[in-house]
Amino acid sequence: MCAECGCGQLNGNTRLQFNVNGYTDENAKAVEKELLGLPGVLYVHIHAHEGETTIDYSPAKTKLTDILKVFMKHSLEADL
Amino acid sequence: MAEIKVMKDILGENDAVAAENQKLFTEKGIYVLNLMGSPGSGKTSILEKTMEKLKDKLRMAVVEGDLFTSKDADRIEKHHVPVIQINTVGGCHLDAKMVQNVLPRLDLDNLDLLIVENVGNLVCPAEFAVGEDEKGVILSITEGDDKPMKYPLMFKEASVVVLNKVDILPYCNFDLKGAEEDIDTLNPGVKIIEASCTKDTGVDAWCEWLQDRVAAKKQLAAK
Repeated sequence: MCAECGCGQLNGNTRLQFNVNGYTDENAKAVEKELLGLPGVLYVHIHAHEGETTIDYSPAKTKLTDILKVFMKHSLEADL
Repeated sequence: MAEIKVMKDILGENDAVAAENQKLFTEKGIYVLNLMGSPGSGKTSILEKTMEKLKDKLRMAVVEGDLFTSKDADRIEKHHVPVIQINTVGGCHLDAKMVQNVLPRLDLDNLDLLIVENVGNLVCPAEFAVGEDEKGVILSITEGDDKPMKYPLMFKEASVVVLNKVDILPYCNFDLKGAEEDIDTLNPGVKIIEASCTKDTGVDAWCEWLQDRVAAKKQLAAK
């Protein structure tokens, strides 16, 4: 996390970008909230219209399948 | 020529020492809180209030982390509670080894509660366990309601978040409801306490939360 002191250079976070079909303004907000509630997810940014979804997370704390389950719950198709 | 970067797993090493500390604390039945937050958020102020209200009910001690000076430890010492100051001399967080090094100076056989007040910083302390049972964050109204989303790790790691200085809400553009929603989004169900140390608001709720945690740790240690 802290690039200045190098504290977090091994924090193991990964940034993924999904292309998601089927967002509405409402379900995009719900997906953002649910993703942020997952243990290792630190940042979520969703372009509802383009479907571009950026997620910064720690694979040690949250599995990719946990993220995919959130999309599936809202009947959304997500591709990496 | 290819460059091979050899990096030391500092977090892994820290976790190993933190586990040693935690084992010792569990053997002794001591509940340990790693208290984090920005400089000026009110960490020491809430500790002073905690001393006032709990020092006759719980046997407690404080480890103070600061870059320099013993100003915070001096404030705690006035309450006649054992306190040890760690100066990191520029280091932005406490780590498990720093805490382990000072433990022989505490009477661990006669403690219920140890609060480790980390260095004022919303970033790095969240990444380094010191052997605590849980982490707590103090966020003051003057820091702004955007901080939970900007510095999410600390709020995700915390078991309790104190929103301090609520008495000055009328004079600040702080969206209390929005901040609480953001914190709950990042860490669903986390305990949030609205407090003001100067007006003595919410401090009882904070102390009750601490007492519950200490009692739970004692029960666990007795098993």
